[in-house]
Amino acid sequence: MSIETLQPPPAGGDATAELLPAAAPRRRRRRTLRSHRLAYRLILPAAVFMVIVHLLPTLGGVVISFKNLNTFTFAKLFGAPWNGLENYRAILFDSANPLHSGFVDALRNSAIYTTTVVAGILVGGLGIALLMNRQMRGIRVIRTLMLTPWIVPSFVVASLWGFMWQSDVGIINKVLVDYTHVLGHRPVWLIGDNSIWAIVIPSIWRGLPFAMLIFLAGLQAVPRELHEAAAIDGAGPWQRFTRITLPLLRPLIAIQLLFNVIYATYQYAIPVVMMGTNPGPKADLMMTLIIRQSFSNNLFGFGSAASVLLMLAMGVWVAIWYRAFRRDLELAT
Amino acid sequence: MRSRFAVVLSAIAIGAFGLAACGGSDNSSSTSAGTTPAKQNVTLTMWTMPNSPDPKGDLQGLIAPFTKQTGIKVNVQVVGWDVQLDRIRNAAVSGTGPDVTQAGTTQVPFFAALGGFSDLNGKVSQVGGSSGYNPAIWNTTKLSGTNGTWALPWFTEARAIYYRSDVLKKAGLDPATAFKDWDTFRQSLLTIKQKVPSIGGKPIAPFGQPGAKAFDLVHDMMPFVWAAGGSELSSDNKTSTINSPQAEQGVKFMTQLIQDGTFDKSQLERDGTQVENQFKGGHLAVWIGGPWVLGSVKRASDDTWSSAARSNVGVAPLPAGPTGKAFTFLGGSDLMVLKSSKHQDAAWQLLKYMASDRVQQAYANLLGMFPAKASAQKQYGAQTANLKEFLTAVEDGRTYAPIPQWAQVENAYKGSFGEILTNAAGGNVSDAELQKQLDDAAKQADGLLAQSTG
Repeated sequence: MSIETLQPPPAGGDATAELLPAAAPRRRRRRTLRSHRLAYRLILPAAVFMVIVHLLPTLGGVVISFKNLNTFTFAKLFGAPWNGLENYRAILFDSANPLHSGFVDALRNSAIYTTTVVAGILVGGLGIALLMNRQMRGIRVIRTLMLTPWIVPSFVVASLWGFMWQSDVGIINKVLVDYTHVLGHRPVWLIGDNSIWAIVIPSIWRGLPFAMLIFLAGLQAVPRELHEAAAIDGAGPWQRFTRITLPLLRPLIAIQLLFNVIYATYQYAIPVVMMGTNPGPKADLMMTLIIRQSFSNNLFGFGSAASVLLMLAMGVWVAIWYRAFRRDLELAT
Repeated sequence: MRSRFAVVLSAIAIGAFGLAACGGSDNSSSTSAGTTPAKQNVTLTMWTMPNSPDPKGDLQGLIAPFTKQTGIKVNVQVVGWDVQLDRIRNAAVSGTGPDVTQAGTTQVPFFAALGGFSDLNGKVSQVGGSSGYNPAIWNTTKLSGTNGTWALPWFTEARAIYYRSDVLKKAGLDPATAFKDWDTFRQSLLTIKQKVPSIGGKPIAPFGQPGAKAFDLVHDMMPFVWAAGGSELSSDNKTSTINSPQAEQGVKFMTQLIQDGTFDKSQLERDGTQVENQFKGGHLAVWIGGPWVLGSVKRASDDTWSSAARSNVGVAPLPAGPTGKAFTFLGGSDLMVLKSSKHQDAAWQLLKYMASDRVQQAYANLLGMFPAKASAQKQYGAQTANLKEFLTAVEDGRTYAPIPQWAQVENAYKGSFGEILTNAAGGNVSDAELQKQLDDAAKQADGLLAQSTG
């Protein structure tokens, strides 16, 4: 979607072409085609590959979402009987269907998860970047250390936190209850009501470093003169932050918002490693639901329909995002 | 040609869809080598799951005499439990896969319903047929609604009570009667809680089982439902009966243990293996588990055992319920032959070899599981007192209805059982909540049972 930022620089011949406005644009296009022939040839294998591994399966998924593909019709695959909009109706409106309540739970959990994780990552990442954006002894070491959660694979993050959350021997309850006495009782994290936070917090922990890195780069690019000039004019630190730093970081915030929302919505590894393929009604996310219903329960029609709905929702999100941040991206180029 | 294109397209679509679920699974081709039908030149491909500490090496060692005898070579490929369902399903549908595959006993009906496996009906009499096996185990080779025999039982597991004999002694309990029925079981745990809060200076909980995270939660719970006179499905397999009063009574027994404070709640946050290690590590006095744990007692390299737990392991069959009967879940694995295999005879010879008493016992020993064949089970169970108790459990064993949707119904039950235990741990043990969860499970199961080809 960041087409503006990714546009190639104008071709060398363009300057002369503009001097001759009467010249047929077709000729210009043909010449571009010819001069870029090698480039197109080089891109071709990747394009074919993308069609095979991305486009065709996506289309296949959309087709399956209109089919009654279940345990008994699985052997027929695309020959399975058509089901019209029944899969969509069952998911969205049929309150008597248990799949509907599972979908509503997962939708709510995914919404909570995505909002809190993205907010946590962006606010936390910016906060840490502000702290790190100064010259002091050992700052390089600290910055390197801050990056460690980012290089740990999700599966490892989830198993580590899975141990830490255990209510009886986990370090988190030890710190909260035994060492600091912040809480009087030992909360249970991995099952029940708290389980959503057991996946939200490690996800923020893992996402923070990258956000910090990006914001730090952005902060270091903010011209010091702006701050100095504003300070001379009597602007306090908060005013300088909201009037100078934040507006200049808007393009970076935009990009991170886009990617983090998509990434969080499609989260799968952390809940599954920590809680198994069915994390329970309080922590089941859209992806765990879709994958469980499709691959463990053979309800491929349901899974595909839910995937298509999720894909559409992401499409809407990208459209909203694009409208909101379009100008920032243009300014950034 | 068109249908072929459709199959390829489907394979691509399903494959790509599947990549997200099982990232990094190795989809190496596994068609059988050896194109000539000559017996001496055949190489079979066999898919197996990680059953023993060295799954490939152990099995190859077991098969070596077979190859020497018949000239049939076997290429053993280990497929992880996390991806085996997808891979066997895809192999059955696409017709490209191994010649022989291991399958979990509860998966056999689903695989058989896909239509990609050979009916062994004409051959099984060579290994004793149905009379050679415990009826519950033989039931796992069937598909409801067909007359075929779609698999051959390979090895068996059953659930039994594991207890710490030193803890029982200290509590003044007699192992022979302590777990006889539900009442004594519950009372024994209360006695342990009261009299033996710790042993050897280490705190010990009376009892613990995994909850929602255990992939086999239903196998742990159903014996109690059965013992109360309940059942998983109606006798015609058309509707769920998991919300019947009897089933409710069975599930409630577990929540009562949580209420008693004898069931260590924190175990509910762990998965099956983690709780198993809690027993081995000496944190639990009583636990319900499979025979492989007994097998690991003598394995010195298994350092999850604490020395006190290792030297004081006792086994007892599960307690009898209000009906006066005791049950356990019988699981394990069967072997299936793919219809697409070009070496049907050689594949059958391999299955026949695996079903011989000697090989059954040798493999069971490697795995710490029970042999599947009745004659081999008897010999195996006679080895030690603890194995003898296990043999009793195996003979009380029960399996689920052989319907293709069972695995899904089991998933629905698992979700509700997990919630019930989670709620009980949080202090909510009301009958209304229990009934609501079981009604939910029954509703989901009914939806799954109603799936059709139309």
